[in-house]
Parts: sequence; structure tokens; C-alpha cells
Amino acid sequence: MRHLSAILLLASLAAGGGSTAAEARLNVVATTSSMGMLARTVGGDQVKVTVLAPPDRDAHYLMAKPSMMVALRNADLLMAVGADLEIGWLPAALQGASNPKILPGTPGYFDGGAQLDLIEKGGAPDRSKGDVHPLGNPHYYLDPPRMAQLAGTLAVRMGKLAPAHAAQFEANASAFAKAVEARLPGWKQRAAGAPGVVFYHKDGNYLAALLNVPVLGYVEPLPGIPPTASSLKALVASLAGRKGVVIHTTFQPGDGPAFVTKNLGWTAQQLPLEVALDGDAAAYFSLIDKWVAAVASSRS
Amino acid sequence: MRKTIATPLALLLAAACAAGASLAQTEPAAAPPPTAPPPATEPVTATGPRGPLDPVGLVPYNVLGDSAQTATAASSFNPMISVILDGLFYRDDIDGAGSELLSEADGFHLHGADDGHSHGATEEGFSLRETELTFSGSVDPYFDLWAIFAISDEGLEVEEVYAQTGKFIPGFQLKVGQFYSGIGYQNAQHPHQWSFVNQSLPYELLFGGALNETGVQLNWLPKLPFYLRLGVEAVQGENPGVASYYGSDDDHPWFENQAGPRLYTAFVKVAPDLGYNNALQLGAFYGSGREHQELHDEDEDGVIDEAFQGTTDFWGIDVVYKYDSPRGYGQGDLTLQGEYIARGRDLDLVAEAGEAIDPVPVEFDQDAYYIQALYGFAPRWNFGARYDRAGSTNEVEGGEESGSWGATSRWSGAVTFDPTEFSRVRVQYDRSQVAVDGETVDVNAWYLQLQVSLGAHGAHKF
Repeated sequence: MRHLSAILLLASLAAGGGSTAAEARLNVVATTSSMGMLARTVGGDQVKVTVLAPPDRDAHYLMAKPSMMVALRNADLLMAVGADLEIGWLPAALQGASNPKILPGTPGYFDGGAQLDLIEKGGAPDRSKGDVHPLGNPHYYLDPPRMAQLAGTLAVRMGKLAPAHAAQFEANASAFAKAVEARLPGWKQRAAGAPGVVFYHKDGNYLAALLNVPVLGYVEPLPGIPPTASSLKALVASLAGRKGVVIHTTFQPGDGPAFVTKNLGWTAQQLPLEVALDGDAAAYFSLIDKWVAAVASSRS
Repeated sequence: MRKTIATPLALLLAAACAAGASLAQTEPAAAPPPTAPPPATEPVTATGPRGPLDPVGLVPYNVLGDSAQTATAASSFNPMISVILDGLFYRDDIDGAGSELLSEADGFHLHGADDGHSHGATEEGFSLRETELTFSGSVDPYFDLWAIFAISDEGLEVEEVYAQTGKFIPGFQLKVGQFYSGIGYQNAQHPHQWSFVNQSLPYELLFGGALNETGVQLNWLPKLPFYLRLGVEAVQGENPGVASYYGSDDDHPWFENQAGPRLYTAFVKVAPDLGYNNALQLGAFYGSGREHQELHDEDEDGVIDEAFQGTTDFWGIDVVYKYDSPRGYGQGDLTLQGEYIARGRDLDLVAEAGEAIDPVPVEFDQDAYYIQALYGFAPRWNFGARYDRAGSTNEVEGGEESGSWGATSRWSGAVTFDPTEFSRVRVQYDRSQVAVDGETVDVNAWYLQLQVSLGAHGAHKF
């Protein structure tokens, strides 16, 4: 008898995935926690969000793990950063998941980068220049206006998948856009006049452009290539006499930034690149606050 | 034709992704952006201004101008392409006979229609292993195609060519063509995905490198809260070691004819969800060969000393654990893996000295395993250690040769440096104890390897 019920349970799981209460909610899989934040902000209580990439590491260098395939297998909507950020693992994980609902070209596949006007687009697809992204810089998630724009597009998409809640999604997206708009002048004002910033990687470029602060250089000699002693010396030489701040993320090593700041008399700031796994819009704004404060610190 | 290098499964999907992206999924935004998008700070162009961060030295001359990104009628449906070079420098302490010797290990000499081309058969000095050429893309809304070729001294060989679809029934995937079987963990990996220069002994000695066959595979990922993949395959049955086939002809009239498919396999893989930092996958598989034919001509005089035919079966288990460290460039990452494979051949001796005889039943039972560890000791650097052993069970029963052979074992240590995702330099040292004709031969071998991949971005497969 116990065997029978176990078999029945297994059969029902296999057939329906055992979802009952969650049935009504959209099952959203986001590649990064910033995308997860946006999905939660727009979807509200109508979505259940699973994040594939942990927030404390580089989302480019992940492996297509079995657990990702499980998440994708059960998803109604996949939300990717796009612009080749996840190219190393998302196609493989999608292929392993065999979920026709979320394949590229279907309504269940939402590629954020494809919806936005990205910077640094159209560069030569030449890897002698490092890990370049000809589709544009994929790190737009640190750019609140673009995220607000994406929220609007996402609301339309979610509305297609769950028409009963379309109005709610759009209201949530507008609320997020308004919140961004309200904070923009403050962010710009705080960073006004900052002399410049050196990022480890091109991950802060959108924010620097938004704040109108020049990017003076990168700790990496080329995207994806860690610095060497000579590349750091060259960087220091090119920055001699200037003021600025070095900003690197929690997963980027601190020794390169330390060398630069020591030789230039600057300070370095290490910040998370992503909100926490379950981060909401407030957590996202507080992350942007931290980045703005770090950029502004180059004034002192 | 068998194994080798190549770019991962995902190219295909990547092609689909690219296509999806270009299909402009742009939708009208419900909420207009509060501000205009900021202007690009640093346009990156091949001919743009050179800054302090641009590479010093060689910058390729941009012959094609800026039009390289524009799809034309001729290029827009091109598949994704990649080329992988695999160069080797090799030395051993028995005058270069080290890799040859392995294929003569007691009980494991492959007497098949196709001996495969052992990846271990390496000359001393410089050599170029197979250059792998991969094409992939979406065929139509239903199928994706993978075509992977190996180019070597032996010419152009098909490594894998298969159509695949997962677009009909959720969770189901069908593969048709020539492909690496889904059994085990390492079987489907191409040489550029290995953690060592050479294949592990279970695959090298029991399957002549890997189980690579022509046929169909169906696999299913049921809708469950954890990873469970079930697969079955029906394939032609031509692989050395388990399904070698000649059929009856003038040279060997004593063999039977048997139409394909002659080999069936089934596999299961389970992976509990252990969070972001840890991953574990357990697998088990079984295979059965309906017709296996061997020709033994030990002195290579053209006269068949012995001919066997019969059935085979094999089973195995595989375990992989990975720790993904939060540190950058692979530093602190750890991978532990091991596989065990057992093979039985239930054969009849049907010919001796070139003449058919009354069948004499002979049974062979063998096994092999490896365990290995890989640790990222510095950014972009890792160290690997592996222990292989083949023939802990190595028995023959029936006929004149009843008894058991000795085991062959090997220790390997490798240090690998990955300058980028597209290039890899490796040094490796092997110490083997090979059982040959009842004696144990010690071999020390050294490898220096360079692998580079040009073209489409490969997948970081589990």
C-alpha cells in the first residue's frame, strides 16, 4: 500500500510537478539577482522567482549545473541579462532543460539586453581585445533608468503570459520608474564634479555615464584578463597626477586595486555588483546609493 | 572515428539565442524611461582612438572594415563555427612506446573492426592531435544540428553529426545521428573538455576511447524538484570493445550476419540541489551488445589466429562533485569525480589459425575505474591528480586460456593554465604500471599541451 501511494505520488509529480497553490503564479527564472529583483518588483505576488547565478560572483563564468536545468524545466518565463553575458552556460542549461515554453523566440524568453539601447555596441568581434561583447556592454543593471525602461517592457511581457494581472504589472512597473525618477537628481547631485573613476571591469560604465563622471581606466588590461605587474604600472603611469577612486566588486581580487591606490594616493572601494538573492527595489536603490557614494568619494 | 575535441552542445542553443535576439523582441514599453539613455562613454571600434588600455603590440588589421557584423543573404544563415587546435609535446622513458604499450595491456587489447584511433597513441616530440571543426545551428523550428569533424593525419573523420530536438514535448529530447553516448560522465566529453591530456583508462581500454555510435537517443527530464535524467539509446553497434562487427564474408566466413541496431544502452543521472556553491551528480548505466565479433592476429601475419563472436554487456556508475568558489578566475574551485565500469563478453571461439572450428565458449570479465581531483590553486591555474586502474577483475574462463591477467594502473598529475576561456596550456606527468604478457612494465611519461579555440563561444558544461 505504501508502495502504491509512493508510485502515485511519483506519477503525479512527473505529470504535474506537484504544484497546487503556486499554480496560479508565474514561475519566473532570472539569471541574476538584479533580474530577479526586477521580476519581483514588476510581478509582485503573482510571480515566484528563482535566481540561477549567485550574486557574489561573476555571472559570465558559471557552469550549466543540473540544478539550473531543473529550474528552467519548470519555468514559465526566463529573464536573462543578455548581450552574451550568460553565453557560456545559459544555452547549455536551456538545451538540457528541454522546455519549449522558454526557448529563444518564444514569449517565455525575455532577453533584457535585446530590449535596450546598449553602450559600447558594435565593436569588432576580435578576441585579441579580450572578452569583448559585440552586442554591447551587458552590465546595464547598474543603470536605474534602463532598469526602469526594462520594467515597463517586462510588464508588457508578463501581461501577455498572465493577462488577468496585466494592469497590476504595469502599475508596478510605473511605480518603479517613478521611484527611479525621484532618486535620479539626488544621485546626480551627489556625484557632481567627481574627477573620475577606475573600474576593475567595465561593469560600472553605465552608472558613470549616468552620473557624468569620466571612466579613467580599468584594472584589467583587457576585459576578462587579470592585471599583471606591468599592466598595473602602465595604468598607474597613465593616471599620474590625477584624482579618482578605484571601484571593484566583491568577486574581483583586491591586489590590483591596492597597487593602483597605493601608487596614486587614491582609495579603493569594494562593492557588491548585485542585490541579495531576494533583494527588492529598496535593496536595489540602496546598492545604487553605495555605488554613487563610492563614485562621489573620488572628490575628496 | 571516435572522440575528440569540439565545442559544446550549447553552441546550438547559442545560435538559437542569437536568432531570437535578432528577431527583435522589442516591445512597446508601458512606462517611458524617466531620462534619455546616457550616451556611450567609450565607443569601442577597431579603428577608434587608442587609449592607455588598448592592447600594446599586435592588433589585427581590419581587412573587412566595419561590415563584419552585417548579415547578408549569404551569411545570415551561416551556422556557428569553431576550430580547436590541440598540440602536444611528448616524452617517455621507453623510447616513445608508452602509449602504444597501453593498448597491449593484458586482457585489454582491442580486437575490433575499428580499433578507434586511440588518443593515447602519441609520438615522442611534437604532434598535432585531431583538429576539431564544429558547425552548429538551428535547422528549422523543430531541429538543431551539430556537425563535429576531426581532422588528422588519417584525414577528415566524423566525430559527431546529429540532429536534436527538445521542442515538442516538455522535458523530452531526441537525438538522431552519430554521437557520443550519454552513458557515464566523461563519455560525451571531447578531448578539449578533459582535465588531463589523455582519456581515463576505463574509457580508453574498455571502449577504445569512448562509446561513439550511430543511432537514436531519447532522454527525459521529468518535472521534479530535483534533477533526474533518464535516457535510452538504440545504436548500430560498431564500437570497439563492446560491439565490434564484421559480418560474414570471404575473409571471415565463420562470422554471423546480424542487422543493426546491435547495441542498446540505458542511463540515469540524479543531482540533488545543493545550492549555489556545491553540485553533486550521480549516474548509473547499462549496455547490452547483441553481436560482438573479434579477430586476433597477434603476430600480424595476416592469418587470423583466433576469431570470437557472441554478446557483451557492461554497466557502470559515475560520481561528480563540484565546489564553485566565490573567488574570481576559478581560484578555489574543486572538482572530485570517479567512474567505475565493468564489462562482460560472452563469446564463442569460432575459428583458429584461419579455419572454422566447433564453437568453444569463452567468457571474459573485466573492470576499470578512475578517480580524480582538480583544484584551482591560483586565478586561472589548476592542479589535477588522477588514479586509473584497469583489470582489478580481469578474467577469462573457457578454452585453453582460463585464468586471470594482471592489472594496469596509472598515476597522473597535471598543472593547467587557462589564459582565457579560449586557450589552455597544460603540463602533465604520468607514471604507469602496465601489465604486458604477465610482466609489469613501468613507464614515465611527460606531456606539454596547448589547446586553443577559435570562433563561437564554447559552453561551460557541467
